[in-house]
Amino acid sequence: MREELLARAHDAVKIAQDAGADDVVSSTGWGRSLEFQWRDDKVEKVQESTSKALRVALYVDGRFSSHGTNDLDPERLKRFVGEAVELTRALEPDPFRKITPAELYEGRQDLSLDLVDPNLTVDAPDAMTREARLDWIKRLHDAAHQHDSVISATSGMMDSHSLSARVTSNGFEGTMERTSVWFGAECTIQDGEKRPEAWRWIGGLHRDGLQGPEEVGAECLRRALSRRGQRKVTSRKTTMVVDPESGAGIIGRIFGALTAGSIQQKRSFLADKLGKSIGSSALTLIDDPFIPRGTGSRLYDGEGIACRKRTIIDEGVLQTYFVDTYYGRKLGWEPTTGGASNVTFKHGPSNRDQIIAGVSDGILVTSWLGGNANATTGDFSFGMRGHLIENGVIGEPISEMNVTGNYTDLLQRLSQVGNDPVPWSAFRCPTLVFDDIQFSGL
Amino acid sequence: MNDTTAQDPSSVRALMSWFHVDEQILNRVLSEALSHGGDYADLYFEHSTDASIGLEDGIISRASTSVDQGVGIRVLVGDQTGYAYSEDLSLPAMLGAARTAASIARGGGEVQPQNLTPRGHADLYSIDRGWDQVGVAEKLPLLQKTEALARAADPAVDKVSVSWGDVEERILIVNSEGVLTGDLRPMSRLFCSVTAVKGDETQSNGWNIAGRHSIAWYDDAQIANLAQEAVKRTMILFEAKRPPAGELPVVLAAGASGILLHEAIGHGMEADFNRKGTSIYATMMGEKVAEDFVTVVDSALHPYERGALNVDDEGNTTHRTALVENGVMRSYLHDRISAKHYGVEPTGSGRRESFRHSPLPRMSCTYMENGPHTRDEIVESVDFGIIAESFTNGQVQIGAGDFTFYIKNGWLIEKGKVTAPIKDVNIIGNGPAALRKITMVADDMKLDRGGWTCGKDGQSVPVSQGMPTCLVSSLTVGGENNA
Repeated sequence: MREELLARAHDAVKIAQDAGADDVVSSTGWGRSLEFQWRDDKVEKVQESTSKALRVALYVDGRFSSHGTNDLDPERLKRFVGEAVELTRALEPDPFRKITPAELYEGRQDLSLDLVDPNLTVDAPDAMTREARLDWIKRLHDAAHQHDSVISATSGMMDSHSLSARVTSNGFEGTMERTSVWFGAECTIQDGEKRPEAWRWIGGLHRDGLQGPEEVGAECLRRALSRRGQRKVTSRKTTMVVDPESGAGIIGRIFGALTAGSIQQKRSFLADKLGKSIGSSALTLIDDPFIPRGTGSRLYDGEGIACRKRTIIDEGVLQTYFVDTYYGRKLGWEPTTGGASNVTFKHGPSNRDQIIAGVSDGILVTSWLGGNANATTGDFSFGMRGHLIENGVIGEPISEMNVTGNYTDLLQRLSQVGNDPVPWSAFRCPTLVFDDIQFSGL
Repeated sequence: MNDTTAQDPSSVRALMSWFHVDEQILNRVLSEALSHGGDYADLYFEHSTDASIGLEDGIISRASTSVDQGVGIRVLVGDQTGYAYSEDLSLPAMLGAARTAASIARGGGEVQPQNLTPRGHADLYSIDRGWDQVGVAEKLPLLQKTEALARAADPAVDKVSVSWGDVEERILIVNSEGVLTGDLRPMSRLFCSVTAVKGDETQSNGWNIAGRHSIAWYDDAQIANLAQEAVKRTMILFEAKRPPAGELPVVLAAGASGILLHEAIGHGMEADFNRKGTSIYATMMGEKVAEDFVTVVDSALHPYERGALNVDDEGNTTHRTALVENGVMRSYLHDRISAKHYGVEPTGSGRRESFRHSPLPRMSCTYMENGPHTRDEIVESVDFGIIAESFTNGQVQIGAGDFTFYIKNGWLIEKGKVTAPIKDVNIIGNGPAALRKITMVADDMKLDRGGWTCGKDGQSVPVSQGMPTCLVSSLTVGGENNA
């Protein structure tokens, strides 16, 4: 398959060049996934998918466009690419649009990132059988349904295997392959008029090392039961503890403001902040593309640039932006990479429960509900649900409350970082603690 | 809708030849899908072409096109689903996918496909040329005009970016009960983003217009209005503040405020959640849930609107469905599985993102009908509160009933008068409670023309929403200056 994808990408480069393109980037992909769902007393859904696709980015007479298709019939593909080159000629020249310079391809690491679980590939000899998968999700379901107040529980398992190849007219060639497996449950319980729901899904690129179905289902049920009696409390200014699974929802938002595109388009509250303090000294963020089995791990980025490990924020001080070649040229900046791979934090000494034990009065955020942030000004306002923290103990569930502020202020209020990141997320956020945060409720 | 033409059965024939299939091939694939004992099967053929163009810093800086095609094959056994798709439309590939989907069932093939009869339907979005027939050169001036007008509208405007997107979808739907129908679905959207700088302060905002219109709809008046709104809504942010935090009366301005209905009630009335008992509305059918003057409707029958649909993605005719009528909970939104479960006719609400997904009950155009009050009466009735005008996004928890929507632009109301502008604030409420708190509804309903997209179970579909001006007596406003 790898050779087939590479050959198809090379062919597309040649077709586009023959049609008159000056430079071409071609990428091809293949993916297969299997999905099983169980609800209440039986199988809910079985789905199997296989996809193929091809994309070309074309540089023609100083003009640029990109095109994709899943119709890979050789004759039609040839016509598609030819028409795409013609379309590009109808555009305006853009002096900043050029193919990635070949020197940025250099220095690609020769590392094994261990992104493929041989048990999850399409031809795996020891792949889980259909019966084993159904047994797995039934056990997940049963654990999540193990209480009188449960109205309905649904469990599922999904695994996938994908391969991609990238070839350019200026000498780049690369392939990436990865597998993944995800499984979990959702359940809904009766609680007066309300029917609070909760979920627990876990996963990774490999199957080994993950919790079993009973543990995952039981955690789902525990979360749902913890929502019983949820209510809105009075507006207050207090300590905010953010659960590791919810950290990306609030901190992940600043990454949009760290791109060269948002700075060049004047839509970033973090413009002109390089070398300056944008957060408290507890905030150190690293873009690490080389974590074995990491969900965001890679050796080259979307433009073919060889990946490097970079410190983004060091003890609160901004070290670098995400600079792609296009906006780098517009700003006159050296390209770095267009976006983050895996993001890791510098850890503190404690996990979530240890941290909470030291909080006399606060609110634990377990999930966000809607809300948004304005990358130009840093203003944000998010809905949340979670629990009160009283004298170091997680207390009653709260809902229908908002957290509102500005990132410039919020990042300085980060007082503690835990040591308990979510391992299967590319955004490896541990527990975070922010002091004196405004919550609005009653 | 009387200003629409009809797609006659011959248009279904044209779609069959587009996909290179005839009744015999379709029957073969359906029979294979039913071969393990499924009691129903359907095939959803899709071919979509889309194009997008971007203008930034005064030049057309990017363009892209894509082609996506395939057939989704679904087999049902009661409410159990087997699903597979093939991007390859050759008979062997389709038969392979049919066998995969068939595996949900474990038995012999007792159900046989019925004879297929091509069926036409109303045409709510007939356009003279499909988007795949409109060249890029015809589209560029739309972006260039928008950019020039936005740039000229205010000297503080520093950056303008304009993006265009269009899609032309060809759909052919066939099922084992003899349904054979299809649809041509155009869609387009023009988006203008503006950044303005005053001294050391920078603000940005945007506005967009969307629908199933032809290129002729994007005339000079539409474009001027788009550019003007984008600039006006950016400039007002220099004066805007966050409102106070806590519970406040919230007036919802006519138009995009339908986002409240979409989140607070629409999703909770999708029948899959109720069939499973997971919606907060699961036991409220027939109950009085709001004042007499509250009627909430979901209807795909609005010509050229983004949420319009001639047939749903299961081949069912689309309808107007009253979710709440005169304050009483009336009907869920059904797909085939839920309609069968409840023993009712489908409401034409089975939708999917593409051939890669099985359909779910979804909204189309969701709005509240006009009420007995006027906008002025509503504003005058508020001693201290806010009026919400434009929005970026919303969300709901189906079972707990908590919903949110994010206000981008709005105003404070003080002593019955609209006073200072507000910005960037999240609103949170609880569905059934918010319905009970709708205390006034005006007579100025309008559907919003913005390009709304609804996400559910990882599937995105285009929708519309609308609202007359109305008053919710109390919602939690995520303001800033609380104690």
